Amino acid sequence: MMMGETRKQKRRTAWLVVALVLLVAIIYAATFIKLPVWLPALK
Amino acid sequence: MARFIIRCGIFAMTVKGEHMAEATTAATHEQRPPAGIMRWLTTTNHKDLGILYMSFGGIMFFIGGAFIMAVRAELLLPGLQLLSPEMYNQLFTLHALIMVFGAIMPFATGLNNYLIPLMIGAPDMALPRVNNWGFWILPFAAVLLLVPFFLQFFGIGSGATGAGWVMHNTSLDLQSGIGMDFAIFTIHLLGLSSLTGAINVVVTALNMRAPGMTLMKMPLFVWAWLITAFMLILAIPVFSAAATMLLTDRHFGTHFFDAANGGDPILLQHLIWFFGHPEVYIVLLPAWGLIPHILATFSRKPVYGYRAQVYALWAICFLSFIVWAHHMLTSGLPLAAEVYFMYSTMAISIPTSVLVFCWLGAIWRGAMTFETPMLFALGFVAHFGMGALTGLILPDVAVNAQHHNSYVIVSHFHYTFFGGGIFGMMAALYYWLPKFTGRMFDEKLGRLHFWLTVAFFNITFIPQWFAGLGGMPRHIADYALKFSAMNFISSVGAFLLGLSQLLLVYIVVKCVRSGPRATGQVWEGAQGLEFTLPSPPPYHTFETPPVVK
Repeated sequence: MMMGETRKQKRRTAWLVVALVLLVAIIYAATFIKLPVWLPALK
Repeated sequence: MARFIIRCGIFAMTVKGEHMAEATTAATHEQRPPAGIMRWLTTTNHKDLGILYMSFGGIMFFIGGAFIMAVRAELLLPGLQLLSPEMYNQLFTLHALIMVFGAIMPFATGLNNYLIPLMIGAPDMALPRVNNWGFWILPFAAVLLLVPFFLQFFGIGSGATGAGWVMHNTSLDLQSGIGMDFAIFTIHLLGLSSLTGAINVVVTALNMRAPGMTLMKMPLFVWAWLITAFMLILAIPVFSAAATMLLTDRHFGTHFFDAANGGDPILLQHLIWFFGHPEVYIVLLPAWGLIPHILATFSRKPVYGYRAQVYALWAICFLSFIVWAHHMLTSGLPLAAEVYFMYSTMAISIPTSVLVFCWLGAIWRGAMTFETPMLFALGFVAHFGMGALTGLILPDVAVNAQHHNSYVIVSHFHYTFFGGGIFGMMAALYYWLPKFTGRMFDEKLGRLHFWLTVAFFNITFIPQWFAGLGGMPRHIADYALKFSAMNFISSVGAFLLGLSQLLLVYIVVKCVRSGPRATGQVWEGAQGLEFTLPSPPPYHTFETPPVVK
């Protein structure tokens, strides 16, 4: 694999990891902050 | 800020890459991993970690099994003989938590660790150090879960949690002692481990495929795990947050679920089942992904309906997140919500049927042979089919009111989890064991293990179905006299099912120690990049990526 390609792959990996970790954090926070307000609508 | 984080990430991976390059050079001179215990503690090799995960899953399978043997011993006869109701609650709760989070999920994670890089032509998982970290969280989580159970025998604490695996028996949640706190911390640790594994799978599958391997050329097992990983990423944070809320309710004065102070106990059920129903598919999808490979191999045909299966897996992933309250149909939901959750749940049968018909299509007019992995794969189709069919009738609102919290549910989900999950894992273990070890297992003993498992599994769970139809409630240590015969048969079946699994240990040990050498191809009809490698594969594989046509 070309050197530039390796670097691109690493950059994509880093972006993906950051995006997924942020997604996890947002869902965790949204559950904690918002869902107690939203879900009783099902009652 | 984001750019800084990315740069740090790239730097860390570059350093890791240099280490890997050094390790690769060393390995070229000496094709051996480091010796001794340090190999297993410090390894970042995906095959080593795969074996660690699978071994951990296997050990927990027997610990979880031992707990339920005690439960079935209590249920052998009516009345209370061996266990107090509190101990009974602890045992079935630990059994469930261990089997789901300690046995099936880690074993499936072990398979993905070992197989995904081999199947997509990658040298390792994308984040090898995170991979090591994800595994070594697990033993600590298991100890944390089990410690309060054993401490009670020394007069410390009131034992482990007894609130069931989804822990929404709120009266118990708020009253039970240190066991619930230990379980809450365990859930956070297990969640962390699952999330690190899931992120690793997504990045590996999306970013490390060999040249020419487009997404729609990825093996179905990799597809299934990619989808499972997304489900974990979406579901685990909700479960962790619910556990955090429970913790703050118990110790920090919040009232999320405390009805006496304006909280809503049903909210806990919503949150837990928003995670809990996708969790069912998180357990099953890896098995659904590997079964087509096994059926195709032993039918000497290509995988049938590849695209249909990929789309069906995605459809199940989507549907699994919008059906959670079918577990709560008796909790007082409004009629419109009940009808919605009934029909949306039944809709899952459509993509599931696509999968089942694709599996049947794979063996249709195939040149089938019935080696042990094929037997377990067919056993999976039959038993999971029974779990799925019984699952189709349970979300019916009227039927659910009848069967909710009865042994019908226990029988149904064991046909799903054991008939689907465990049979699938057994099929995978026998299919890839020669690849992992480089040796063939004893085929006769493997077949014996299969038939014993089928017989005793059904002897255990068919009577539970009929006891449930007769109205026997679950989670109670005693039962009415009219259920005596069914419980006696079920308990005897369970003891024999547990004993017959010891045969698996013997088969694996015998295979590793003295099995005849396996070829790289292993099975006549096997396809896939992993079968182009010798058995067992070298410590480092695909350092130069293969080109996939």
